[in-house]
Order: sequence, then C-alpha cells, then structure tokens
Amino acid sequence: MAGLSLEHIGKKYPNGYEGVKDFNLEIADKEFIIFVGPSGCGKSTTLRMIAGLEDITSGTLKIDGKVVNDVEPKDRDIAMVFQNYALYPHMTVYDNMAFPMKLRKAPKDQIDKAVREAARILDLEKLLDRKPSALSGGQRQRVAMGRAIVRAPKVYLMDEPLSNLDAKLRVQMRAEISKLHDRLGATIIYVTHDQTEAMTLGTRIVVMKDGVMQQVDTPSKLYAEPCNLFVAGFIGSPQMNFIDATVGEKGGKTTLSFGKNTITVPEAKAAALKPYQGKVVVAGIRPEDVVESNEYAEGRRLSEPIDAAVTVYELLGSEAMVYADVDGGSVSSHVSAANPARSGSRIEVAFDVDKLHVFDKQTELAIVH
Amino acid sequence: MANLAKAKNGSDRNRTFMMILIPVLVIFCAFNTVPLITGFLYSFTDSKGYGAFNIIGLQNYMDLFSDARVLNSYLFTFKVAVVATLGTNIISLILAMGLSSKIKFKSALRGLYFVPRILGALVVGYVFSYFFTYIVPAITGTESILASTEWAWVAIVIVLVWQACAQTTIIYLTGLSSVPEDVYEAAALDGATGWNKFRYITFPLIMPSVTTNMVLVMKDMLMVFDQIVSMTSGGPAQSTESISYLIYNNGLAGGQFGYQCANAVIFFILIAAVSILQTKFLNSKEEQL
Repeated sequence: MAGLSLEHIGKKYPNGYEGVKDFNLEIADKEFIIFVGPSGCGKSTTLRMIAGLEDITSGTLKIDGKVVNDVEPKDRDIAMVFQNYALYPHMTVYDNMAFPMKLRKAPKDQIDKAVREAARILDLEKLLDRKPSALSGGQRQRVAMGRAIVRAPKVYLMDEPLSNLDAKLRVQMRAEISKLHDRLGATIIYVTHDQTEAMTLGTRIVVMKDGVMQQVDTPSKLYAEPCNLFVAGFIGSPQMNFIDATVGEKGGKTTLSFGKNTITVPEAKAAALKPYQGKVVVAGIRPEDVVESNEYAEGRRLSEPIDAAVTVYELLGSEAMVYADVDGGSVSSHVSAANPARSGSRIEVAFDVDKLHVFDKQTELAIVH
Repeated sequence: MANLAKAKNGSDRNRTFMMILIPVLVIFCAFNTVPLITGFLYSFTDSKGYGAFNIIGLQNYMDLFSDARVLNSYLFTFKVAVVATLGTNIISLILAMGLSSKIKFKSALRGLYFVPRILGALVVGYVFSYFFTYIVPAITGTESILASTEWAWVAIVIVLVWQACAQTTIIYLTGLSSVPEDVYEAAALDGATGWNKFRYITFPLIMPSVTTNMVLVMKDMLMVFDQIVSMTSGGPAQSTESISYLIYNNGLAGGQFGYQCANAVIFFILIAAVSILQTKFLNSKEEQL
C-alpha cells in the first residue's frame, strides 16, 4: 500500500480544452478518497491520468514517492475497477482473476491461492468456472473487484463501479466495498457522481466542477462547512435551500431580510457579515434545519417565524418533505409524518440560525457557516 | 369481421411476398439449380457437349482418380488456396490492426485499401500479368516468373492475396471495433501489452471474424479462375491449371463435357466438405462471448 501525490496536475486536450486544471492533492496510505462531481467535471479524467490511461499534460504524479508520469500503466502497481466491469468475455471467472498474475509469471500455486482467497472474500467460489456472460450485474461487479484484489496493488482505482447496478444491489455493494477497504487496508480512489456513495464511503471527498477542484474534506466537514455555493448545493440530498437576502441591522443586531421576512443572525456569525451591510448575499439552510413551528425545536436556536404556503408534500415514511413558498423565496423542510401540513395549507417555519450558511452572491464563496 | 379483415390483410401481404419471391426463385432455379442437376446427370455420360452421347455409369468418376492432369490440378489448387488463404488472413489482420489504430488519414487509407475489391479480377490479372512479364524482369534482369513452371504459382498467389485482402481487412476491422475499449484498458493495467495483448485479448475476441474470413477466403481461393485465365492460361506446361480452369477449358472447349461434369461434382463435394470442416474446427475455437 502507498500514498499518492498529485502536484499541479492538468489535462489539456489538443483542441485546447482543459479537462482538469491545477489539481493538487496528497493522498495518505490507506485513505479512501472520493472524487465527486457532475458529469464532465474531470473526475474520471483525473482517475485515468493516475491509472496511466490518459497522458498527464502538466504537473507531477507520484506514487509512493516515485514520479510515475511516464511509467506504463502496468508498471504503476495499481488496479482499476471499471464502470462496465471490462471483464475478459472469453475467460472464465477464475482466468479473469488469474490473468494479471499469469502475465507477471507468478508461480501457479501462488496464483491459485490468491484467486481462491479473493473468490472467498467476494463469495465467488461457486462461479469460478463461469464465463462473464453467465453472470448477473452484481456478480460481474464482484469479479471485477476480485481481479483487482488478486494482485494486491499499491492503489485501487474505481471508476463509478456501482452505477450500472440496481438501487438495492448498489446499497449492498456499497457496504461490501466499505468492508473491503477495512479488510485490505488499501488506498482507494473512487469516482462517483452519487453524493450518497461519496458521503458513506469516503474518508475524504474531493468535490470537482468544470475541471477544478472545489473542496477537499471529510464528509462531515464538507456537509457542515461547504466552501462555496456549488459544494453546498451538490452535497446533501435534498439539497440546501438558497435564498437571496439583504444584510441589515436592527436594534444593534445583524439581520437578513428577504421579502417581508427578517431573521436575526446570531452573534457568532454577525462579525463576518459586517462588510456586507446593505448588500445582497445568499443565505443557505439545509431542509432539516428548517423546522415547522413546534416540531424538532428542542435544543435549537430558532429564527423569527416565517409564513409559508405549502406547494408540495412528500411522505417518505418516518418523515415527510414539505416544499413551500415564502415571501422572497422558497424552502424545503423535513417535517414529521404526523405533521398535518399538506399541499395548499399554510404553515409557519423557522430556521435553525446556528446552522445558517451565508455565501457571497458574486464570488459564490462562503462568508460564514 | 375483424378476423376476416385480418385474414384478408394477411393474404394480401402473402401475395406481395410471393410476388417478390417467385421471380427470384425461378431465375435462381433456371440458372443455378437446373444446371447443377443437369451437370450431375451429364457426369454419368460421355457427352462432348454437343451431339449424341451414351450413358456410361460411374466410368467418368473412376477415370478421374487415375488422371494425372486432374490430380495435378487438385494439388495445384489446394497448394494455392492454402497459401493464399493464410497469406490473405495474416496480411489483412495486420492491416486491420494498423487501420484501426490512432493514425492520420485513417478514412482515406481505409478507402485506398478497399480499391482492389472494386476492380474486376480479370483486369487485375492482366495488369499483374504485364507487371510480371515486363516490369519485374526489367528491374531484376531475370526471366518472368510467369514463364517458370516452378514459380508461376507464386505470382498467382500474390495477385490473389492482393485482391482478397480488401474485403478480408474490412471484416477484421469490424471485428476489432467490436472489442470494447475498456477491455483493452483493463488489459493494459493487468500487464498485457504488445504480443501478450494480441495473443490473450485481441485474437480470442475476434475469433468469429477469423472463422468467417478463413471459410470465405478458402472457398474463393479454391475456385480460382479469372487470374489463371488472364495470367497463365494454365501454363507453363499445365503447371498452373486450377480445377475450375480445367473444368471450363476441357469441359467446354476440349470435348470432355461429361467427364468434367463428374470432376465438377467431386469438386463441389470437396469445397462443401472443406467449408464444413473449417467451420466446425474454428467454431470450437471461438469463445462464447
């Protein structure tokens, strides 16, 4: 196992398009790093540059302290799991998994031991003689994992490995991959566009957009302190509410006004908003921090009540989501299943002001969390 | 009523199908099946192709096996066919791999390599005949290989391969393009490069194309005719007499109509047998993808 170092990595195509711009990241040994972002953000390109499947046009890539920019993929000691599995259709499950070791001319008994061990871990023992065409999506996925494990590489790269599976299997495999990471103590770099996968699997998450790294942090930090509007909107489902609000002052306290609503900002956040007096900023609040009058209020510091007209009501089972129009914007809120709010009804909501985020409208950067 | 309408519609459609099918069927029978059966019947006669004839039973067939000229033509044809089939397939596969890689002018080159396919075999034959008779000797200072009983067959093979590569390459290109890119990428990471990549990944995955090409090219090569007519007329000293050429020449111009009909029947059975054996053997090598 090993650490990686990406220094000013860039990818510029012959037509001038920059797929990845100045990507800097230190990955420690045994980390589970997630690259997440919308399609076309450069996450897969970065992964493929690490694998050696794409040329790095600028910057330095080090694996275990050694510069590998010009090292052949096979000599980088990495294994990759592809989105479409990329199994060898003409080989049995056993041969698929044995192939990398066979090419490295490992002794037969050693290959056999490694393949059977991987098959045991991944519950593939009964499928060893089958061809990939006779396997289900989930089984193929496990074979692809097996092929990676057998080699015991320094780094595992996974390119949206679960995106072709159905929802139930995806949850199951997600747990399997998490277990696998603990068990192998491996360095894993995992690409996904699914923020749930990112949040549940990663030790750190890299959020990307348009080839530019936006923020690198632990899942909890990323959720609690997104560095800009994009990260705030991308991480979390349903996504954070954004409302354009004007910074003001009332009785010596800093306020945010939108429509006829005015909420008081707690002391701790007020200082950062000083320079924005009289300007329009973007207030961000997660749906679970928008509470309906008396519900979930305990232990929270709530804002002034805001009158809201419910437009959509979604029962999720234990909870419900309410989408409502307020003067000056719209909000979504988690309410209890017992809450009588329904489409068309009027409710009163309040923001948990300690959880309020404020972003600069021009630069989109966070002002305060 | 609905059923009736349906039935009427159905019979209308059937009539349309019949109107398309029947003329084709009639023409096919008239020019293929009837001559085949007639030829088979003539193979039991001593017909010269004209005038009266007698039924002589299996005499023609027995004579065939002791006829040195016929045996020589079989040896020549199979030698040419085997060498040309292997040559065509190896060269086409190399060409196809080159043409499917990331190179400049790919489309133009693909078009260029397909040109031999659209030229008539006779035209190509005469051009190469000129090439081997005048140009090559002028450069090398030796006599034309078309005049050599020992080497004339090589000239035939060269022309056959040159022309057959066009279509064979196209089929290999299709086969190569059906191999998913990520399988190659996985192989590159697993350590398969160069010869290993070809041996373990590319070749097994294009095996269906190999089968198709082997069978089609072999069949075409066994029936070699135009190139013989245009380049050597079977010579020198009958050394390049292919089976088709012998059947045509002696059957229609040499007064051996019945005898060469028997030869044609044997030839037909042989080609069918070779194709079936090839398909069976190669299919067993094909992977169930």
